[in-house]
Amino acid sequence: MKTDDLIRALAADTVRRPHLRTTLVLGMVPSLTIAVLAVWFVLGFRADLLTALVTPISVARILLTGVLGLAATRLALLLARPEGGQVARLWPLAAVAAAALGLLLWAYVATPADARQMATVGKTMTTCLVAIPLLSVLPVATLLYVLRQGATTAPMRAGFVAGLAGSGFAAAIYALHCTEDSPLFYVTWYGLAIMGVTLVSTLIGARALRW
Amino acid sequence: MAEQGDVWGQLLMAANAGDARAYARFLQAVTPVLRGIVRAKGGSLGAAGCEDVLQEVLLAVHLKRHTWEPDSPVRPWLFAITRYKVIDAFRARGRKIDVPIDDFADVLAADAGPDPTEAADMAKMIGMLDGRSATIIRKIGLEGDSVAETGAALTMSEGAVRVALHRALKTLAILRERHVK
Repeated sequence: MKTDDLIRALAADTVRRPHLRTTLVLGMVPSLTIAVLAVWFVLGFRADLLTALVTPISVARILLTGVLGLAATRLALLLARPEGGQVARLWPLAAVAAAALGLLLWAYVATPADARQMATVGKTMTTCLVAIPLLSVLPVATLLYVLRQGATTAPMRAGFVAGLAGSGFAAAIYALHCTEDSPLFYVTWYGLAIMGVTLVSTLIGARALRW
Repeated sequence: MAEQGDVWGQLLMAANAGDARAYARFLQAVTPVLRGIVRAKGGSLGAAGCEDVLQEVLLAVHLKRHTWEPDSPVRPWLFAITRYKVIDAFRARGRKIDVPIDDFADVLAADAGPDPTEAADMAKMIGMLDGRSATIIRKIGLEGDSVAETGAALTMSEGAVRVALHRALKTLAILRERHVK
């Protein structure tokens, strides 16, 4: 086939595909809504949710994970474009991680020595480590789908940010239920859950986002 | 160069808004430049091999054209796709290649020449499509039929031809991937 012939065939194909941002919104709104409803109906919101939302140390985890979700989603949209790999900078994610570690350090110093272990282990570690990955499934799958509709030239990095974004949002939603307000607990276990999801998503991305 | 990029941007913007003629002009305008890049990087493949790679790049540009943001320049977008697909094509042929993207600006456009090279791979892939899809691509591409004429010949509506053509082109890219592996 001559290239001019191919061009003729390509030019005749006027079926338009939706903008990536549209696909993202159409996928993320239901995914996150389902996650919120799942927490609400299966686990239940914490009884003192309204108080917790105005308590800085408690709301900090929603802010941190939420900001992680937003920053990573932005990066995913950028990496979905072919030239995105050249211009995407991952430092905003590192800034969120640094803030979380700073909070952990502060809590370590501020918590009396004999209370540290209890605050870290908490009572709901298992629920946390199961619920956050489960809540991540839909948002991460949505982001990977959007990236597949896109044209990433950095599949592994794209899988990485998709994992961080989805699990960041999932952790923020899980925090509506969780009453463990010590950063010793939530930085540790939310962090571990997020890292686990992100590792899996990175591996999936490296394979599934090639085109 | 920047001016050329602007023209490409206008054409692609019109194309993404559904203007098929602007889209054909866009593809015709970028093809010599992309051919120049492929030949500069992959001269060892020979003229026909380079034309194969070029067609892979064009198919990728086509299927991913919705990822271009109208407010960003066309060239970095286009060259990123080209680079990715050229590396991919070389990997598929068992070779490694280093493609620094900065080089692309210096590459001279290359015309197909008086007797355009017939690339073999795409025809092979089209042969692997189902009969009707292959016929649609051949009619529109090789015979230069319009979508309407093709629809009349196959007793299909124009809309159905368009959808079938779109699916066929997507399938070609998937076949290409599998063939490579």
